[in-house]
Amino acid sequence: MKIFIQTLINGILIGGVYAAYSAGFSLIFGVMDVINLAHGELLMLGAFTAYWLFKISHIDPYLSIPIAGVLLFLLGYFIQRFLINRVIEKPAIMSYILTFGLHLIIANTAVKLWTHDFRSITTSYSGANFSILGITIPVTRFTTFILAFIIVGFLFYLLEKTDLGRAIRATAQNKKVAQLLGVDVKKIYALTFAIGAAITGIAGASISPFVILFPEMGLSYTIIAFCVVVLGGMGYIPGALIGGIILGVIQALTVTYINAGISVAITFILLFIMLIFKPTGITGKGNV
Amino acid sequence: MKKILFIFFMGFFLIFSTLQAKEFKIGVAVALTGKFGKAGNLVKDAYTYWQEAVNKKGGIKVNGKNYPVKLIFYDDKSDPATGAKMIDRLINRDRVDLLLGGFGSSQVFAESAVAEKYGFPLISGAASSNKLFQRGFKYYFSTLGKATEEVKGCVYAFANLKNKPKTAAIVGADILFTSLACEGFKKYCKKNGIKIVHYELFPMRLQDYNSLFMKVKEKNPDVLFVGSHLLVAMRTIKALKEINYTPKGIAFSYGPTVPKFVGDLKGDAEYVVAASEWTPNLPYKGKVLGSAKEFAANYYKKYGRMPDYVEAASAGGAIAQQLAIEALGLTPPLKDRDREKIAKWLHSHTVNTFYGKIKFDSDGANIAHPALAIQIQNGKIKTIYPDNVKDANLIYPMKPWKDR
Repeated sequence: MKIFIQTLINGILIGGVYAAYSAGFSLIFGVMDVINLAHGELLMLGAFTAYWLFKISHIDPYLSIPIAGVLLFLLGYFIQRFLINRVIEKPAIMSYILTFGLHLIIANTAVKLWTHDFRSITTSYSGANFSILGITIPVTRFTTFILAFIIVGFLFYLLEKTDLGRAIRATAQNKKVAQLLGVDVKKIYALTFAIGAAITGIAGASISPFVILFPEMGLSYTIIAFCVVVLGGMGYIPGALIGGIILGVIQALTVTYINAGISVAITFILLFIMLIFKPTGITGKGNV
Repeated sequence: MKKILFIFFMGFFLIFSTLQAKEFKIGVAVALTGKFGKAGNLVKDAYTYWQEAVNKKGGIKVNGKNYPVKLIFYDDKSDPATGAKMIDRLINRDRVDLLLGGFGSSQVFAESAVAEKYGFPLISGAASSNKLFQRGFKYYFSTLGKATEEVKGCVYAFANLKNKPKTAAIVGADILFTSLACEGFKKYCKKNGIKIVHYELFPMRLQDYNSLFMKVKEKNPDVLFVGSHLLVAMRTIKALKEINYTPKGIAFSYGPTVPKFVGDLKGDAEYVVAASEWTPNLPYKGKVLGSAKEFAANYYKKYGRMPDYVEAASAGGAIAQQLAIEALGLTPPLKDRDREKIAKWLHSHTVNTFYGKIKFDSDGANIAHPALAIQIQNGKIKTIYPDNVKDANLIYPMKPWKDR
């Protein structure tokens, strides 16, 4: 029984981690219909921001979170304004090609700059954990798990309760009408992408203490984000949490009770089943 | 007039091409990017170091005359199919005289098949899967031992203890080299009466190791053996600490000897055991790059880091090929029959190098080289096995995470 509960907790925690870095992917898709294949690279840049600040200035990775957020916000704004905006009216394939190109450019530039080294941030609290009734909970993962709720809550609040959010939702629903009502659509797109990039950068900095970093780490994260968002509903922000936790728990249970070998395959089987039978996600609130 | 010009140009071309041929062109397809990019670059560094050392003396000396070495590197992108294509290109387009091996069993497996087809000797210092030696190849050589034998030292380091471990868990990434390392761990655990309580292979893609090692923790083995590359080894340490699990001992097939392992994991890397084939404190020496100690010191001067055993093994392979050329008195450009002679020479001679003795068996594996085990103690790599070369005793059991 203890191992079952421990597995469940592991799954929920990793699910929170998945949610933290998938929310931005979902936001960008929901508003712009762009599947950002360079998503993992934004995460990688966030993580590397924390790494370099730690290595050079000995700044704690958690203190780097706002810095990573601001840097990625600026980068996201730039990428959308000058690159993605050019293809947004074009067929979807154009945005895939563009973002895939960005993925290659960012990852390979990072390789040139920082080499292929696998890196790790080791702080005094690395690997710290606490236990409740014999169940071990790693502190850094737990922190990211909490952060996932904050990110999703923030996005939810932003979209539902603020003027900017209303403008973003209006643009997502009907671009032409939003334009007629005086919404600067291009600016809204750029801001949305920037916010999506910023929270992904924040997630990157927050996972940096417990993952191994390398310039080409991004793609595997993009794939997971895609699965999470399909599971939870494309473009439905709270869906990232639901999708993340479901995926995390299923993977953890597979590793514990079947074997680690098929836990990766399960992710893709799940993805196919969802795309075929319930493309709107488990919540049924995704855009298709 | 036209005719004279033509003859002039032809003459110029011929002279130019013979001038060109006065060097040994050696081609290498190795992972410079992709998942083995980091390790592949170590191999490149090792060959480059050897090339510079040889060229500093004028080149490879044949019958009193020096012929410089020119290395041509292609990136196999950590992909076997690309590697095979690159070897083909080196042989047919660049017309190299000889080849040297790249990094990683899967890549070298494909690359050596092309080399074999064209009759080019290929000595690798960074691939050791048993399958490489089971193909009946005449032109494939490896300065490393077989993957299953490489990890022997790790198991014996524990098995020779008075309070030797009774149980072990073996896990590893499901790719050629690491899965064979797991086989090796299993073989030698059985030989030493260590009971295997858990055995599992997982895909390289697996990102979250916590649940996997939680399973191992439940079975509470004395020692954990991991079939690993650097990334797997680093992720393992992170996961073990997070789930608060300290086995009495932990050993990896590859990873901890790469300087980054200790550099970034710091104290968490302490007490980790790993397989190795070479360390700088071994009493080996040869005429090309001096002693093991000298090699390490000069390497440090050039790259600002100590060489890993894979780098030593790669440079060792380059030296073996060089010694064959010198002994046979071959000059560039080499012909097919020269390459055949080199392969025969390598099969029938034992050479001494800073990397140790190199003697290739009929299947191409180096059988003159004992498997070592190292342990990280106070941030330094210490040799703990075999007894005749060790410079430290194995610390066992290792200190729990909480007490560090």
